[in-house]
Amino acid sequence: MAAAHEEAAAWSEEAARRVWGGAVPLQVHLHDADVTALPPPPPFLTLGPRIGYLPLLIPVIKAHFSNALPPGVDTVWFEYKGLPLKWYVPIGVLFDLLCADPERPWNLIVHFRGYPSEILSPCEGEDSVKWSYMNSLKEATFIITGNSKSVMNMSQADQVALWQSVTKGNLDGYKNISTRLKLGPFEEDGLVQTASTERQQSSDEPESPGPGRPCRVPVRFYVRGVQEDLEDIEDAMPVSDWESVSYINRPFEIRKVEGRSYITLGHALQTLLPEFFSSDPQNAEELGSAGGGSDTTNSSRSSQEAEPASASLREATKQAKVKLVRVQGIELDMDIPFLWVANNLKNPEYYLHICVYVSTRKQ
Amino acid sequence: MAAEVDQKVVVHVRSTGDAPILKQSKFKISGRDKFLKVIEFLRRQLHQDTLFVYINSAFSPNPDELVIDLYNNFGIDGKLVVNYALSAAWG
Repeated sequence: MAAAHEEAAAWSEEAARRVWGGAVPLQVHLHDADVTALPPPPPFLTLGPRIGYLPLLIPVIKAHFSNALPPGVDTVWFEYKGLPLKWYVPIGVLFDLLCADPERPWNLIVHFRGYPSEILSPCEGEDSVKWSYMNSLKEATFIITGNSKSVMNMSQADQVALWQSVTKGNLDGYKNISTRLKLGPFEEDGLVQTASTERQQSSDEPESPGPGRPCRVPVRFYVRGVQEDLEDIEDAMPVSDWESVSYINRPFEIRKVEGRSYITLGHALQTLLPEFFSSDPQNAEELGSAGGGSDTTNSSRSSQEAEPASASLREATKQAKVKLVRVQGIELDMDIPFLWVANNLKNPEYYLHICVYVSTRKQ
Repeated sequence: MAAEVDQKVVVHVRSTGDAPILKQSKFKISGRDKFLKVIEFLRRQLHQDTLFVYINSAFSPNPDELVIDLYNNFGIDGKLVVNYALSAAWG
């Protein structure tokens, strides 16, 4: 048993190294309107860490294009096939979601002017990204433990060190600090080693539920529609508008189940996204041999009232068929244990990001 | 299965620090709306361009998050508690 345990730990270690080492080769082109030099500068090639964020690459990209830029104040943003890229979405997730056929290098356009503030929230470089990261971490911590105390009680120095470990891809430095947050790993029996056992409430904070509370896994879904008659996923029409992507945050609640060895990824997806995964019996069959039990439920009320975000997807839900599920660039087998995925393929803010392609009938 | 009803969420807003207190502290908003709508509403009400908006005195969610998801994940006693401040209140 001990040997099996060690082997599992070694696999987890390996998975984390690969997630942290994963990168998307980027070929960044300067937008024509921002070019003031002749000949125009060549594109810039760099590696975008999967767990990283586009604004963190701005200093090196700006240095490359500095001789060609117009004078004035820069407001940097990125575009792929006409779509302004959300800066707070990890680079790996953007790539998995927007590149149906993984394009390498990934050709992006960088703009230094004309920030599309009606589409993107303002970004002031690394500070904004750090703010977004720390808040996502607090949010995930709230989902796991019932409050955000363990992150809020971190020292400034630890917060800075944690953030730097993420920006530098320093997994060992990250683990040194993050293990103190006691946010996992998640266990199949629904237990997680969390800080909430050390009850330390302030009056302003809502009461965290008692010790018997089931544990929840923070999950972020990005659901995009593709044409119904699509034969190859590579031929999917590019995403032209963020409104066509449903951004869904639904935690998975783990409960101990008698007689079940583990919860499959397919079962977890059916539970979390019933509107996409169980409308079609044929589809449900494909998606999880261990599914079908009513013993694991989505957190509180959401599974019964689950609704897709946008009107177009709501309409499409009735005929939706899942075409592809991608996590960290991998198309995963639906039979693998969900908690293995959650523990090992999560991002450093403790969210598991899942990209889902569903086919939708033409309007 | 996915219900087609548009669930309304009760948002309870609370001022933090020296932010002005609104006369009306509870609002109903469609669950399908994004959190951005709550932020914009508070900005208009308070005539502030910069406003820090939190859930449960703990974190600022992403403006893209759906109100229904926030309510399901963080709602307390049938309400979503939203705190607002003129300067950063909870790092």
